Amino acid sequence: MENEKALTENESLAVISKMIKTAQQNFKDDSFYYIFWGWMVFIAAITNYVLLITQTNNPTLPWAILMPLGGIISGIYSYKHERNQKVTTYTEEIMKYVIIAFLASLLTVLVMMPKLGVATYPMVLLIYAIWLFVSGGAMKFMPLVVGGIINWVAAVVCFYVNYELQLLIISLAVLTGYIIPGHMLKIRYQKQQNGK
Amino acid sequence: MFKDLDPLLHSQLRLSVISLLVGVKEAEFSFLKEKTGATAGNLSVQITKLSDAGYIEVTKSFRDNYPLTTCKITAKGLEAFELYVENLKSYLKPGN
Repeated sequence: MENEKALTENESLAVISKMIKTAQQNFKDDSFYYIFWGWMVFIAAITNYVLLITQTNNPTLPWAILMPLGGIISGIYSYKHERNQKVTTYTEEIMKYVIIAFLASLLTVLVMMPKLGVATYPMVLLIYAIWLFVSGGAMKFMPLVVGGIINWVAAVVCFYVNYELQLLIISLAVLTGYIIPGHMLKIRYQKQQNGK
Repeated sequence: MFKDLDPLLHSQLRLSVISLLVGVKEAEFSFLKEKTGATAGNLSVQITKLSDAGYIEVTKSFRDNYPLTTCKITAKGLEAFELYVENLKSYLKPGN
């Protein structure tokens, strides 16, 4: 690019529009979190269900192992990837607050599990729904928005069914809300990278 | 009536930098270099000009022992950009 190249008015407009578009298209690959947590919750819910119906001791053990392990792995991933981020958009700035609200609400519900009883998982699904709906909207990515709506419906259904069935509904909800949209998000990111 | 275009913004590289910064909260020097395709030396000179005019805020820090330059647009810079776009419109209106 020339140092002091004289610009015509049309060229100015072209520069502005191209650069604004470039900055907006700089999607970050967030698909890891959706795919990773989707699978972690899916595996925990399914194994919890299997242990319950086979009447094994400690049926909730998968949650106790996988959730802290997931926290550590995504913490390391986030430290490695996010610190090298070259640009911060306003959307990302807002999403930082949304994710803190999401994690705080999730933690509150999990801590209150003894009080909430069978209402715990429906509450968890409600919080998932908010997260998926908001993050999908912020990234203008419809599969996540749809995933959020599915999680809302799943939450309502969960209020009416027993604990065993709730586990199956949760695994379906994360499959459609996190895992499938997560893979679609990865494809969108790869397309964007290839299109450069 | 034609209005004067801000000479500080009426340059391809400086206009590119400001346009990139308008849409984001902050961006690193390497991001601006990659997106504008400019050389490091030229970009550095233009960033200093924008910074001296108070259009952008430049923060210098370190990451892994390497210098890190981060730029963000200021309120003055945003105002200048909006005015530039407004003035540009008067040139582009049919009949002018």
